Amino acid sequence: MNQFTKKTNPSEAESGTGRTKTPWVAGLIIKMAAMMIVIFIAFCARVHLNDKTEQLAREKTRILEEIREKRTEIQTLIAQRESLRSWDNVNKKINQYNLALRAVNPSQVRYMKRFEGQVSAPMSSLYGSDTRVADTSAGTQTSAGGIH
Amino acid sequence: MTLFRSMAIRMALVYILLICGFGYVARVLYSVQITRHGELFEKAQSTYTTRIETHGTRGEIYDFGGSLLVGNVPTMDIIGDPANIFILNKEDKDKTETECRMIADFFEKQCENVNADEVFRRLSRRTFTSTDANGKKVERDCHYAVIATGVKYEDAKKLKDKVKELSFHGVSFTSSYRRNYPKDTMLANILGLTNVSYDTFVPIQGIERSLNDAMTATSGSMVYERARNGRSVTYVNSSSEPTLDGYDIYLTIREPLQAIVEEELDRMCERVKPHAAWALLVDPKTGDVLAAAQRPTFNPNDRSTMTPESSANRLSELALEPGSIMKPFVVSYALDKGFVTPSSMIDCEQGVWKYAGRLLHDTHNVGKVPVTEVIKQSSNIGTAKISVMMGAKNLDNALRSFGFGQKTGIQLKPETSGIFRPLEKWDSLSVSRFCIGQGIAVSPLQLARAYCMIANGGYKVNLRIVDRIERGDDVRVMPVIRETKSIFANPTTKKMITDMMIGVTEAGGTCTEAAIEGFHVAGKTGTAQKVINGAYSNRYYASFVGFVPAEDPKFVLLVTCDDPTVGSRYGGSASGPTFKAIAERALKYMYVQPQLSKEEWLAERSAAQKALHERKVREDALVQARREERDRQLKAQQAKETQKKTGTTVASRPTSNTKSTTIRR
Repeated sequence: MNQFTKKTNPSEAESGTGRTKTPWVAGLIIKMAAMMIVIFIAFCARVHLNDKTEQLAREKTRILEEIREKRTEIQTLIAQRESLRSWDNVNKKINQYNLALRAVNPSQVRYMKRFEGQVSAPMSSLYGSDTRVADTSAGTQTSAGGIH
Repeated sequence: MTLFRSMAIRMALVYILLICGFGYVARVLYSVQITRHGELFEKAQSTYTTRIETHGTRGEIYDFGGSLLVGNVPTMDIIGDPANIFILNKEDKDKTETECRMIADFFEKQCENVNADEVFRRLSRRTFTSTDANGKKVERDCHYAVIATGVKYEDAKKLKDKVKELSFHGVSFTSSYRRNYPKDTMLANILGLTNVSYDTFVPIQGIERSLNDAMTATSGSMVYERARNGRSVTYVNSSSEPTLDGYDIYLTIREPLQAIVEEELDRMCERVKPHAAWALLVDPKTGDVLAAAQRPTFNPNDRSTMTPESSANRLSELALEPGSIMKPFVVSYALDKGFVTPSSMIDCEQGVWKYAGRLLHDTHNVGKVPVTEVIKQSSNIGTAKISVMMGAKNLDNALRSFGFGQKTGIQLKPETSGIFRPLEKWDSLSVSRFCIGQGIAVSPLQLARAYCMIANGGYKVNLRIVDRIERGDDVRVMPVIRETKSIFANPTTKKMITDMMIGVTEAGGTCTEAAIEGFHVAGKTGTAQKVINGAYSNRYYASFVGFVPAEDPKFVLLVTCDDPTVGSRYGGSASGPTFKAIAERALKYMYVQPQLSKEEWLAERSAAQKALHERKVREDALVQARREERDRQLKAQQAKETQKKTGTTVASRPTSNTKSTTIRR
């Protein structure tokens, strides 16, 4: 029996002892190449991912800068608005354009009371009498100064 | 030696060399990764790690409704880099100087408050001397020279483009902000202001100072690794501490009411030309300060208007002798404890009364009158007698229960607690003087708070000027601090004293000018001599304080003129009309409906006028009768004396209707 191959057939016994050089090297090379290709692909993917992350980070920085600019503009506009709204400024404009404004007067205000579906007569104004009476049958309101 | 053996030896040598090589590499790796790991890691970190500090913005100040009173306006600081200018032009020194001069001249023309010579001097200073960690003096490059600060943001952006066009080296623009007061002089004395020192706001006075801790921003930091080009390596861990802006402050001030008070105060100043003036509008139920104005004042946006006189906060810092506006506190206490009733008669000695060896005078000669008239006619003698009746201890209790001698709790610093001597240090005159507002000094805030207590039925309430502070979702409301127990034991005390104070604005009162159509106005005048150089002078604080509507007060209003120089110096004439103007406008703004119709109001006033007229007629008749009685008694006495001398009799006494005659025999 061939001790290496454990084959009893004499013709086979000879063929089992030697090593065939070409098949296992090729196999090794193929395996190594495949591994390297996989590593290479993974590496490229990671680099691509990093690159994308970098781009997004730059975009984020740009947008944050834009937001900051806008906020700055808003703050400036708020300061201008508040300055324009100040009473000194408004009063100046009223006088400048001679606007026909006058102070509010309680006599401008009328009140009406409503009792469960009926419309009562309007309360007399606190600064003058009002003799108009509500038309309760028709359920309408008078034009007694309206409701302010 | 066989071929095989020599190959074996060579292979062994190669193996040994490889093993030594790998061993050496392993040793180095061990040293780098294990032994010196800490040291090398720190070194790498310090090289590739950057820490930047981020700053928040200072909190802003708003009125109750959200109108901005103090805000932050973005600006830019323009900074020069002298070392950089030198390095870029190092082959030609003259070129460096020329560039520095060009930069300085350019910014002098473009910016305000920039001096070209000063900027040139800063830019020319390429190095500076500093001390290193070992104590050695080292020359370092100077990379920071201020060219201009606080430049408006829009202007700075245009300048940035121009600088780029002109290719100036070493000029950079950094963002900053400055405080802005968009309402100019409105509430300036209360809001206060800040200075800037090394990019930090330093508060000087007012709300800016007393709430500085809340408004100051918290700095944060960001730590990140950077690549060789300086960009952050975003896929590596970075840490940051958050930056927090300061709290925004919302006051109890209502801007429209504040504008009304400021406008009317300006009109008063034009009318009576006082040395100073102030007005305070307070909600009696919550102690909210709705408006507070002072003159003189200043514009915080223009520091040239700021002087010690114009920037003082008289409302919280000034202690003054208030005069007659102290009387209602004493009388209300006396009514509450039962010492007097509204109809108790007090003899006001016709305007002159001696007590503890000193004379006390009234402005008008008043005789025997009920307590109601003591307040209405503001009799010093009447009030002093009530006070003497109560005694010093009760007077002390009365004034302290109204909060005098204590701070009001308002969020303003500094605040005076006034000058009110403890009972042990009173002299014999104090009981007759403190009650009329002499010898005791109080602040306008204390007075307003005390009148709030009368208006709200005797409940002590702390004044508030800050309503809430906010930072995003974090809102903290300042509590209303109000006692649950009234100082008035008698539930009718409030009505009694209010009715007396209503009389002040009716016919016969000291301030009919403060009457408002359709409303009952409860008020009190005060004309107090100013103490100058330790003695009473001929200058006065003229005040009027009151609350409207009297039955359900919406606000307490105090108006004071410090030394009116035109027209009358009395509180009723100087401050009364301004009280009326402010109160009328404020009532309209607050939609407070008149309590009475015009006819009812006029009817009440004419009834009061009629009652006054009848009372005057009765008083005149009484005075006439007394005069005649006195004359008759005088003549009888004279006749008796003549009789004694000459031993003759005198004719019988004449009747009241006939002229008295003396018959000599």
